[in-house]
Amino acid sequence: MTVKVLIVDDSAFFRRRLTEIINADPRLDVIATAADGQQAVDLVSLHRPDVITMDLEMPVMDGIAAVRQIMRRRPTPVLMLSTWTTEGAKATLDALEAGALDFLPKRFEDLTDDRQKLCERIYCLATNARPHSAPLQSNSLPSRQIKTDTNKTLDLVVIGTSTGGPVALQKVLTQLPATFPYPLILLQHMPATFTPSFAERLNNQCQIRVKQADNNDTLQAGTAYLAPGGNQLLVKGRPGRLYLQIERGNEAETYRPCIDITLSSVSKICPATTLTIILTGMGADGCEGTKKMHALGGAVWAQDQQSSTIYGMPMAVAKAGVVDKILGLSDIGPQLAAL
Amino acid sequence: MALDTDDEILQDFMVEAEEILDGLNEQLVALESQPQDSDLLNSIFRGFHTIKGGAGFLSLDAMVALCHKGEDVFNLLRQGERRVDADMMDTFLKVLDSLNAMFSELKSGEYPQSADPAIMSQLAGYLEADATPAPAIPEPEPEPEPVQAPPAEANSGGGDDITDDEFEALLDQLHGNAAPGMKNPSPAPEPTAKAAVADDEMTEAEFEALLDELQGKKHDPAPKAAEPVKTESVKAVDSPPPAAEKPADNSKSNTPPAPAKAAPPPAETSVRVDTARLDEIMNMVGELVLVRNRINTLEAAFENEEMAKAVNNLAVVTADLQSAVMKTRMQPIKKVFGRFPRVVRDLARSLKKDINLELRGEETDLDKNLVEALADPLVHLVRNAVDHGVEMPDIRESAGKPRTGNIVLAAAQEGDHILLTIADDGAGMNPEVLRRKAVEKGMMDEEAASRLTESECFALIFAPGFSMKQEISDISGRGVGMDVVKTSISKLNGVIDIQSELGKGTTLSIKVPLTLAIMPTLMVMLGNQIFAFPLVSVNEIFNLDLRKTNTVDGQQTVLVRNKALPLFYLRKWLTNHFDDSAKPATEHVVIVNVGTRKVGFVVDQLIGQEEVVIKPLGALLHGTKGLAGATITGDGRIALILDFPELMTAYAHRSF
Repeated sequence: MTVKVLIVDDSAFFRRRLTEIINADPRLDVIATAADGQQAVDLVSLHRPDVITMDLEMPVMDGIAAVRQIMRRRPTPVLMLSTWTTEGAKATLDALEAGALDFLPKRFEDLTDDRQKLCERIYCLATNARPHSAPLQSNSLPSRQIKTDTNKTLDLVVIGTSTGGPVALQKVLTQLPATFPYPLILLQHMPATFTPSFAERLNNQCQIRVKQADNNDTLQAGTAYLAPGGNQLLVKGRPGRLYLQIERGNEAETYRPCIDITLSSVSKICPATTLTIILTGMGADGCEGTKKMHALGGAVWAQDQQSSTIYGMPMAVAKAGVVDKILGLSDIGPQLAAL
Repeated sequence: MALDTDDEILQDFMVEAEEILDGLNEQLVALESQPQDSDLLNSIFRGFHTIKGGAGFLSLDAMVALCHKGEDVFNLLRQGERRVDADMMDTFLKVLDSLNAMFSELKSGEYPQSADPAIMSQLAGYLEADATPAPAIPEPEPEPEPVQAPPAEANSGGGDDITDDEFEALLDQLHGNAAPGMKNPSPAPEPTAKAAVADDEMTEAEFEALLDELQGKKHDPAPKAAEPVKTESVKAVDSPPPAAEKPADNSKSNTPPAPAKAAPPPAETSVRVDTARLDEIMNMVGELVLVRNRINTLEAAFENEEMAKAVNNLAVVTADLQSAVMKTRMQPIKKVFGRFPRVVRDLARSLKKDINLELRGEETDLDKNLVEALADPLVHLVRNAVDHGVEMPDIRESAGKPRTGNIVLAAAQEGDHILLTIADDGAGMNPEVLRRKAVEKGMMDEEAASRLTESECFALIFAPGFSMKQEISDISGRGVGMDVVKTSISKLNGVIDIQSELGKGTTLSIKVPLTLAIMPTLMVMLGNQIFAFPLVSVNEIFNLDLRKTNTVDGQQTVLVRNKALPLFYLRKWLTNHFDDSAKPATEHVVIVNVGTRKVGFVVDQLIGQEEVVIKPLGALLHGTKGLAGATITGDGRIALILDFPELMTAYAHRSF
């Protein structure tokens, strides 16, 4: 059973390239291509693709509007192919908010790596991901009163996530009050050009303050520090006086920011008073780090399979047996707020 | 390093990018008159964006850099953060020229050179003026593959640890003054409360105050980014995806929930075909036409009704096939016309004239080869109209005309040919001046000049070395243009005609056949040999009493509706056994347009009209003056196709 792919791009050149690249993967099959958003919406109803690659800038209807419509009519996993500029970042985040699941750079030169990555991502989205028709509906039923087992006061909350993370983070953080008593560190796998826009967006949406982490930032309660893309974020200092150190990421590192690297730095300072939350994402980043944190007495929460866009990273920590709580996405915010 | 221009990917890119560039050309000029048109701005933005994408794919860095800048500036424009001004337009037209130059380099298999740094810095200037951060270079994406997590300590080497003392010192430093090396890379467009929050120097009280302020701000009913979401966030998130269609219906969705359209447009209704392949098909259809002609002729000998029906069928299908194939090669003349708004704008600006260009019949289709071949001659003629035709605004005003001159560029299909006209409402041409000029240049004596009719005078401008302009400008007036134009139109089996009225303006009309591959001809006999006249040049056919000819100035002429036309005996030129004695009383005379003049040719027999495929002459005959090629006729014989302008030059020693 091959995965049916719909390609949406206004450039005939890119439609052909993408078709070639995707069809070269035996698991994938391009069933149709659309030159604008409106065509895409129509073709989704007609061909029922398993996954869609979507361009942002298109005539007639742009990628964001198309995603919105597709999510309303026939929710389908959408991979945004964007240019990685500041502008592209804003538009991509809009598209994610509209319901797109993931994004990749639109740049597949001759690197077989890039192409494999694209096919891999498409396949994974088609087979593992669950698109949400209205991804941001906030289920704020005053859920069951959750008894907090974390009696000790915390120094820090670290949230690590990847695919599906931008929307998940938004959902969790918007539920925190401005008086949230702990600092948060947000580790979202994201390119460097995206994180400033993402931090700004979260800051506009949340009551807590959200900023992109800067070198030497002193951690303050009620503030979330988003790790800058392309870099590694290290926590330094001592409990009560934690500060951040940003290190230029090494090209060889798989993830920049890497959750494991940050957790490793935390584990040297305040492992027992840190709550680590692993949200949706492909891969297993964060697993090694949480093992370490857990061993040193730190609490670990993970998102459940049901609500994860991609149940990869949460599954890895759950399988490692280092998780204290497995929660649905809509429960994480309220439980965090109740701490 | 050279590029492989045969590479399919590169070909793909060039085809698409060229279309976009053509479009950009028009759009940029249009933008000048409607600088706020957001569709236009978006579309130009996308143009740069798409070219950049493709160029990036092919690692054409120079092109990427230039398009990237262009895209950024248009992004500001479309968001209303900047306005288009004349200076910017000039820059963008330069950008376009630069891109076009890069394309020429690409076509010749070279990696494009970097754009002129001056242009790049101008573009950068537009971006900086807005204090908008230049978009960062795309960063590589984190690996998605579920690989094992890297060793956690990879980055936290011992060197990173600091002692407590150092730490205290650092803290003091942090709180005391702005920490060294502490930058704020996040662009804060409005230095509002938020930006202040980012400052680490604040006291707790201040912080609280700010928090309140922020919160207050957040209670604002419309937090901009979250807005579209919140309108929909009513239903439970757990609802399975299909059920989500209902809430969508209730929400104030801006589009109808279900597409009412019966058939959505198919994904891709067109394919790109190499023109060489089309040429091949056209060639074969040409052969088929010849076979049909042959069968037609053969069939006449049979008198078999069934056979006749089948042959008729074949004729119909062949004709349909021929026109269908011809259509595949058709392109709208827009492809050529599209560049004129820019040409006229640039020229008028540099000449300080006010000119309005009107395009008509842009959608007229003609053969791709023709479209390309017509481009240069048309540019020449339009430039001439701007330079020589339309007067300076002041002169126009004193002549009682509006200050803004008008040039109309029109195309229309008339039967089996295309009529192109370039009309200006300028000064028109003065036949007297032309006559004088011809004498000055030693092209003819005064007497011959005074005998020229008005239209013959106008035709003088097509003569080599004839320039109208007193001073030679860099735009036109070197006197090489018009004869080249005429030659290239003739090569297309086309004719060019001038009408001009002093003080009112000049109209140039060009007639070209719809296609170059198949040519309608008039078949005639000279002796026992068949010749084909390109039908586009044939004006009319007469049966004339040849005794009623006059000899004027040593040239036999015939009066047709009170106009004297030179008369020539083609058989004298083209057949070996010309017998002057057996001259019948009346003969067939074919009036032909040669250049801008009419000439009568006496022929022995008229056969009729036939569509032929032009075949090049064999090596032996190659280069024979006056012959455009050969073809195979319906009865299987070979007919030579005549090239009248060349014929006249070679045999009548006249140039037309």
